Amino acid sequence: MINQLVENLAFACLGGQERTGLSETSAFEWIHADLSKELFSYSQVNTYSNKIANILKNLGITKGDRVSIFLQRSPELIFSFFAILKNEAVACLLFSTFGESALIDRLNDNGTSLIITKKSLLKKILKIKDALISLRTILVIDIDEHLDGFTLSLPKLLSNSPGDFKYTPMIEPDAPAFIQYTSGSTGKPKGAVHVHGAISSIEQSFREVFQIKEEEIYWCTADPAWITGLVYGIVAPMAANVRQIHFAGNFNAEHWLNCLQNEKVNVWYTAPTALRMLMQEEEGFFSKFDCSTIKRIYSVGEPLNPEVYRWAKRIFNCEVYDNFFQSETGSIMIANRPGIPVRPGSMGKPLNFIEAVILDNKMDSARPGSQGKLCFKKGWPSMFITYLNKPEVYAEKFSGNYYITGDLAVEDKDGFFWYISRSDDVINTAGHLVDPFEVESSLLEIEEINDVAVIGAPDAILHEKIVAYLCLRNNIEWSRELELKCRLKISNEISTTAVPQEYKIVSVIPKNRSGKILRRVLRAWHEGTDPGDLSTLEEQ
Amino acid sequence: MISEQLTNVFREVFDDNTITLNNQTTADQIEGWDSMSHINLIIAIEIAFGIEFTNEEIRSFNNVGEMQQCINKKL
Repeated sequence: MINQLVENLAFACLGGQERTGLSETSAFEWIHADLSKELFSYSQVNTYSNKIANILKNLGITKGDRVSIFLQRSPELIFSFFAILKNEAVACLLFSTFGESALIDRLNDNGTSLIITKKSLLKKILKIKDALISLRTILVIDIDEHLDGFTLSLPKLLSNSPGDFKYTPMIEPDAPAFIQYTSGSTGKPKGAVHVHGAISSIEQSFREVFQIKEEEIYWCTADPAWITGLVYGIVAPMAANVRQIHFAGNFNAEHWLNCLQNEKVNVWYTAPTALRMLMQEEEGFFSKFDCSTIKRIYSVGEPLNPEVYRWAKRIFNCEVYDNFFQSETGSIMIANRPGIPVRPGSMGKPLNFIEAVILDNKMDSARPGSQGKLCFKKGWPSMFITYLNKPEVYAEKFSGNYYITGDLAVEDKDGFFWYISRSDDVINTAGHLVDPFEVESSLLEIEEINDVAVIGAPDAILHEKIVAYLCLRNNIEWSRELELKCRLKISNEISTTAVPQEYKIVSVIPKNRSGKILRRVLRAWHEGTDPGDLSTLEEQ
Repeated sequence: MISEQLTNVFREVFDDNTITLNNQTTADQIEGWDSMSHINLIIAIEIAFGIEFTNEEIRSFNNVGEMQQCINKKL
């Protein structure tokens, strides 16, 4: 059977405006870190991305090639993303906080042949370039001259690049569009591959959940390297011609409130961690700003505690809708949304085109109110099509007709879903999934450390914080200097989000007889509860 | 002297030997200076200068100049 063609994601976002006479309307307003503004029309985004698309083509990028973007949020990131898609190449957006080891793992796994980055991040790439097996070219967005034949100035190339680029608007629905890396509990990060056909789920979920009216202004605060930032910060609002803002700066309560007030934001999509960080401000702080234009707040990444929900609803005087999806699902699966009364602490109900179920350990339907594995009936258009180079791990994520999320949840008798926890050892800190093995491997390279295990522990701000249990070598004493060494090692090799926030020195790491770390024992130690059956504990 | 030592701390924490600071430098101008790496920075400064910041102080710095003023007062 021949699949019906779909719009290339780039065309879905940028192609419709010309037909409907909207090409000069605002694609987004860019708020710089100093709060100065710049408006970009669809026509400008189209032209900039055409120019970059021509450059990529001239550099030999073709269908299926992997091109990584290693930038913090910037207009160039958005132009580059569309330029890659116009060449039918596959985009991979990487967090600018990634360290050397995290970059090597991802860039080699996806076989990146070209990286788009900026001068201040270039040093990280140059340090590891000999380890990057497929890399042919680095494009730097803010240097005036080429450094050599390998490291090229994007501005210099742009000056001679035409603003037109011919590409086929329609494409096979299963053609890969972008790769989203996610952490598992063992081994290396996994690249979830998403396709151009995802656009129908993305558009449908955006309409059903956000219900944005023509005059409303939308702000998604997520980093574009995160699935939320890419799908609901770039693709969905642009495909829907929604008026939106982007803010380039890091989290800063005053700057954020200024953005909400000055830009008269109506629909705000953020994360529980951000709301919890705002909660740290004194109540008087919020009365300095007029945020009365906000009509709806949405939240994703970790469970939104009822306490935070009530606080945000009171402070911003509007409803707060939590929702759930994953890097693998590609679009929102379960959501609170207008039209369904919110039950604080619940993720809401499955979207109209999604079938969600709770399955027990035998993969049978669990009774309402019973905890089980949160699964989705497979086949929704934005479902990832594989983990790059790991088809066996992909296969393990399915049982019969169901995709297994790796999360535990409960469905109540009225069809609301309630998140419980991960079913594996992956740590969800501030909405980022962190693989404990990756952190442990890096810490073990520190000469003072003999053995290590990390767990996630409840945290009032981050949802979970990373706690490291360390066995030190003989005659080594714990010190703040050693703590700093651990922090900087993880920060510079993996990411700042993977840095343990708490360190505990122990004489032994509990393991079973096959050497597997017994994290439940560590969690019990941390919570001061009974560790349960210790019969499998390795004799030390 | 303090500014030189502070620059060295920033360079170590953010793994970037090209960092230069002035009083107006803010987190948005230093690659990787986010809320998580801010804790690393505070610990590194406390060790380097043999001081301790209060929680209020840690949250109050709007730029490097304010940070340096606070360090000065504690030395």
